[in-house]
Amino acid sequence: MADISRRQLIGGAAGLVAVGGVAAACGGSSGGTSPSAGTSGGAVGTPKRGGNFRLGVTGGGSKDIMDGQNIITKPDQARLVSAFETLLLFDDNYQLTTNGLAESVTAENPKLYTIRLKKGIEFQNGKTLTADDVLYSFQRIGTKANGLTGFAATATMDIAAMKKIDKYTVSLPLKSADATVPQTLASYTFCMVPVGYKAFPAPQIGTGAYKLKSFTPGAQSVHERNPNYWRGGGEPYFDTVTIIDFSDPTAQVNALIGGQIDAMTDLPPSQVQVVKSRGMNALVSETGGWLPLCMAIDMPPFDNVKVRQAMRLITDRKTIIEQVLSGYGSLGNDLYGRFDPGYDSQLPQRNQDISEAKSLLKSAGMSNLKVDLHTTPGASGMVELASVFATQAQAAGVHITVHNDPNYYSPNYLKLAFSVDFWGTRAYLNQVQQGSLPNSPYNETHWPPKSGLGSNFISLYNQALATVDPNKRIAIEHEMQRLEYDIGGYIIPFFNDLVDGYSNKVQGLKPSKGTLNLDSFGHGFRTIWFS
Amino acid sequence: MRRLTSGGVPGFVIRRLLLGIIVLLMVSLVVFAATQALPGDPALAILGRSATPQSLAALRKTLHLDRPVIEQYLTWISGLLHGNLGISLAAQEPVTKLLAPKLVNSAVLVAVSAVVSIPLSVAIGSWAAFRREKVFDTLSSNLLLLLAALPEFVVAITLVLLFATTVFPHLLPSISTIAPGSRPWDHLNYLVLPTLTLVIAVAPYVARIMRASMVEVLESDYIEMARLKGLPERTVLIRHALPNALGPVFQVIALNLAYLAGGIVVVEYVFNYGGIGSALQESVLSHDLPVVQALAMLIATLYVVLNLLADVATIVVTPRLRTKL
Repeated sequence: MADISRRQLIGGAAGLVAVGGVAAACGGSSGGTSPSAGTSGGAVGTPKRGGNFRLGVTGGGSKDIMDGQNIITKPDQARLVSAFETLLLFDDNYQLTTNGLAESVTAENPKLYTIRLKKGIEFQNGKTLTADDVLYSFQRIGTKANGLTGFAATATMDIAAMKKIDKYTVSLPLKSADATVPQTLASYTFCMVPVGYKAFPAPQIGTGAYKLKSFTPGAQSVHERNPNYWRGGGEPYFDTVTIIDFSDPTAQVNALIGGQIDAMTDLPPSQVQVVKSRGMNALVSETGGWLPLCMAIDMPPFDNVKVRQAMRLITDRKTIIEQVLSGYGSLGNDLYGRFDPGYDSQLPQRNQDISEAKSLLKSAGMSNLKVDLHTTPGASGMVELASVFATQAQAAGVHITVHNDPNYYSPNYLKLAFSVDFWGTRAYLNQVQQGSLPNSPYNETHWPPKSGLGSNFISLYNQALATVDPNKRIAIEHEMQRLEYDIGGYIIPFFNDLVDGYSNKVQGLKPSKGTLNLDSFGHGFRTIWFS
Repeated sequence: MRRLTSGGVPGFVIRRLLLGIIVLLMVSLVVFAATQALPGDPALAILGRSATPQSLAALRKTLHLDRPVIEQYLTWISGLLHGNLGISLAAQEPVTKLLAPKLVNSAVLVAVSAVVSIPLSVAIGSWAAFRREKVFDTLSSNLLLLLAALPEFVVAITLVLLFATTVFPHLLPSISTIAPGSRPWDHLNYLVLPTLTLVIAVAPYVARIMRASMVEVLESDYIEMARLKGLPERTVLIRHALPNALGPVFQVIALNLAYLAGGIVVVEYVFNYGGIGSALQESVLSHDLPVVQALAMLIATLYVVLNLLADVATIVVTPRLRTKL
């Protein structure tokens, strides 16, 4: 559990998107001020006021925190979005909108952005959101000593040189071109906090729909409706929101069926029918999250590209989805960033081909390959994926010994030839920055090759970052993905779904492609209501 | 030597207390060795993949891992004796402050379970012995055997299915989350299912020992004598048989109570009841050493104290043992 949290810490940091939204954001299109444009719950029925919404979340514990720009555990995510908001916002299709605190985020040139705030947005204490708060928020994230989730994503930003242009306008100069800045600004760890803000136990004052009333780490937090919420239109609808920590999904399901909570995160697939048969609902959201089998391309036997290709052909992806995810996932094609407009869906779907795999192994001189596969219960499905793959590999004469190591994230991590890991939804270039460059924090496959085919990957990446024209950038991204598809070190069998449960009393929830559970926790608990 | 084995009941209690302290000291050595002194770096285990040389050094300093092992142990044990259990690594607050409300929650659950299960099982066991091989005895013996064979989580989940979710929906709460700031007794209905689970987990053992012990006593000469004197059966049973039959049962009760204190992990897990059982589970998962150490010592202390109480109680109800002191 601890390791998931730590990964989320960094994952969230760059839980951003590369392309796509830039056009919308750069256009500075107006219309974002209308209440809940583009992100409203949109379910049947008129929203109604009142009630105490009780959410059960697993993954929390005594290390729970509340911070407008940081999370450690899953319930921390729910707390954060209840009270704090970002400049830009992803919609349910993971596309950028100007439905956040900023009226526009414009690239003046590849190395200079201008952020214009919507006027008249007030914090929960009545103070108006101004450029000073934006400056403070960026400085807080960009100070390494603060140890905030978003710090990694500020690498390209020249925060010390940020300037207040007027009360509602801020300039954001970059150290190097970075077309992913608008996506960064929509990431939930880039929320705006008031000048002088500090984490809990200091008062938690954000611009969000609910104000913190009480919080006991490892147990629960209670949030009160913000009556002066800036979007108007009746939002938010609940009187209070209570976020309750659970240590076990069985207790969560029982509480949902027993009527003691109204919604729960991460409904186990085996419980979906149980919950439905009791008149409750399951919210199944396709996400861009994935579990890879990682082959280090510079370590034997995977330094031979034929072995990597053979392993990819051994994979029976459909069976893996059935056996590991109980069917709740979609086919992967050894590529990541599926919701990115730059994702190359034209590359042929890779399927199991044992005879081709055998002949590749034979020509590599590895007909009776024996290899160790390392995994850990770090994220749900990691251990199962390793065992299912090991079974499938037997058909091609490959003998895989699975090592389930509770101390997997030790200094040996990232130095293993063959391992399982986990990743969340990200845009393509952001994911490359996190996991596929020599200076990435989590480069399991040691991609890209140092010489020969694929060694131009880094220069392609830098070229893409500096390209503001979306079409040109997508062409470069396709070139990069082609390399990874042909000779890369990842086997990506699937993208997993998020499955959450909620009572039929709750209205307004829609499947979302974002990283957070339950439609980004009902968009910060403001687009859902009780019928 | 004679002095050490004399002194009547008070002398016995003092001797046992001293022994208990020695046992606890040994336990503290084992706990310390298992968590901190064994090969491997606890700081690395705690930090995992987020470890940097700086953070490792800082954590080693916090845990005093940079000191010699003997000194680490002495620092820890002297803190323990002064009531200073250290700072929780996960929660970043004193362990005592973190555990106090959870300890209250667990203590209430165990106490209520004990108050319900002990008289109940003594009554069932006695009555079964009294009515040996009659209908009640056969039924209760078989039922108790069956219940004793069920793991607690099966019992807990079955009770939830029966009384909270499926058979009688919403009759009782399916989980028993004690909200921060409130006490377990604020919502008595929250305690019903967890208590029932623990009673079912403990009562069969106590009742069976009680029955066996009572059967033996009822066959003894002095009971026959009492009956022959024409004493009413009620008096024979309560005044003469029960006190003598209870002796061996105290030991079983003590063991079961101690088991409850450590074994409520499952029950707290199923009912999302925030007590020391779930704290133990969480602290082990998050490598929160100070909390693990504190809880291990707490549970060990409870074992020692309960065993001591059981021995004293046994001696008090057994004149034969009392005069030997």
